[in-house]
Amino acid sequence: MILDRLAREVEALIFASDEPLSIQQLCEYTGSGEDSIHQALDRLNKAFLDQQHALTIIEVAGGFRIATDREFGDVVSQLFEGRKLGKLSRAALETMAVIAYSQPCTRISIESIRGVNCDSAIRTLLERDMIRISGRMETPGRPLLYSTTRAFLEYFGLSNLDHLPRFDEIEELLGMSSSEIEERDLFGSGE
Amino acid sequence: MKEQSFLSSSCRIELDAFEGPLDLLLYLLRRDEIDIYDIPVAHVADQFLKYIRRARELDLDIASEYLVMAATLTKMKSKSLLPSHRYDGEEEVDPGAALRRQLILYRTFREIAEELQRSEETWTEIYTSPGERDRWSCDSIEIEPGQASLLDLLKALNSLSEGEAELPSQRIQRTLLTISECINTLETRIVPGKTISFREIIGPEPARSRIVSYFITILELIRRGWICCHQAYPFSEIELQRTERWNVDS
Repeated sequence: MILDRLAREVEALIFASDEPLSIQQLCEYTGSGEDSIHQALDRLNKAFLDQQHALTIIEVAGGFRIATDREFGDVVSQLFEGRKLGKLSRAALETMAVIAYSQPCTRISIESIRGVNCDSAIRTLLERDMIRISGRMETPGRPLLYSTTRAFLEYFGLSNLDHLPRFDEIEELLGMSSSEIEERDLFGSGE
Repeated sequence: MKEQSFLSSSCRIELDAFEGPLDLLLYLLRRDEIDIYDIPVAHVADQFLKYIRRARELDLDIASEYLVMAATLTKMKSKSLLPSHRYDGEEEVDPGAALRRQLILYRTFREIAEELQRSEETWTEIYTSPGERDRWSCDSIEIEPGQASLLDLLKALNSLSEGEAELPSQRIQRTLLTISECINTLETRIVPGKTISFREIIGPEPARSRIVSYFITILELIRRGWICCHQAYPFSEIELQRTERWNVDS
């Protein structure tokens, strides 16, 4: 299969870019429409697959990137030996989950959901650039507000925040009072 | 003694396995197959307290959150045991409702955390190019002016102080110049009948200690009346001259 000019332009752009390229950027740089870009991406990925490359183009953090197949994780990880950070603890993951769905949010609101002190988990997430301080809440004490970063999306392979698992369901849940939650769960999706 | 330490470590592991009181409560509900909407308060409170008590017997630090939960459960239990008085027009408030909401929310986020963990598992094996540097290492990332957070500044400060520790150290010998030594030197430098300036005595680029030592020496010599000095105006050259008394006294 011989790739057309557009597909190869898209490939070159994604390869050379230092950040995920959005569909809009790809349109702009190639002078093509969104549909053509999507088709070009499909053709590229098909070519990667047909020729058994170790690469695919994926959508992550609001744009496209060339990524290695999972299969080669072990081999590639040698490049980052000693520099790669460990996996997140359960406390950090839970804190991450709460911030992702209720951002921007304060430490207190995270702690009220987890029922436990979250200082060190928040510190870890800040250090690892998964969250950032996005402002202060205009209430007494002006507590800090935390939001997720692009690094968060990339780390968990999310293309954007709407792609968080069960996004709508949890948005709804967070906005509910106790009685509403019970009714919903009793008559709705109860286990 | 050995048994005690074994017991304590196993219990520690048990408590450490929980991410707080809500996690422990959910575990107890699952273990005893209790429906979250129909919590037998007395039973759950007893079970929860049993855990806390065991941890306390073994002298473990119990996070305050566990104690707050223990108190809440005990309060709910005591309320459930007492006959309730209801007045007309007063709505019945279910004390368990708030706790249930908390449990449901926490359980949901715990599930999400598990999903995130699975994503993490997958995505740590996938590498994208370029940009790995930003994703994996703590190396400095370029920060746009005005975008630096407090954390960025602290990181920068840390890396600075780390760098400082690596600077080559240099040993500086402290040289003591006593006043009597200075007097001996001056004996030859201040020749009878001639004028010498303070600047000449201390020499070019003198160490601070040298200036101080000689200055004090000169004050001492003036006090003894061995020299006389002259300064035309403030900060100008200090001219020194030997007097007759130097030879007489020494």
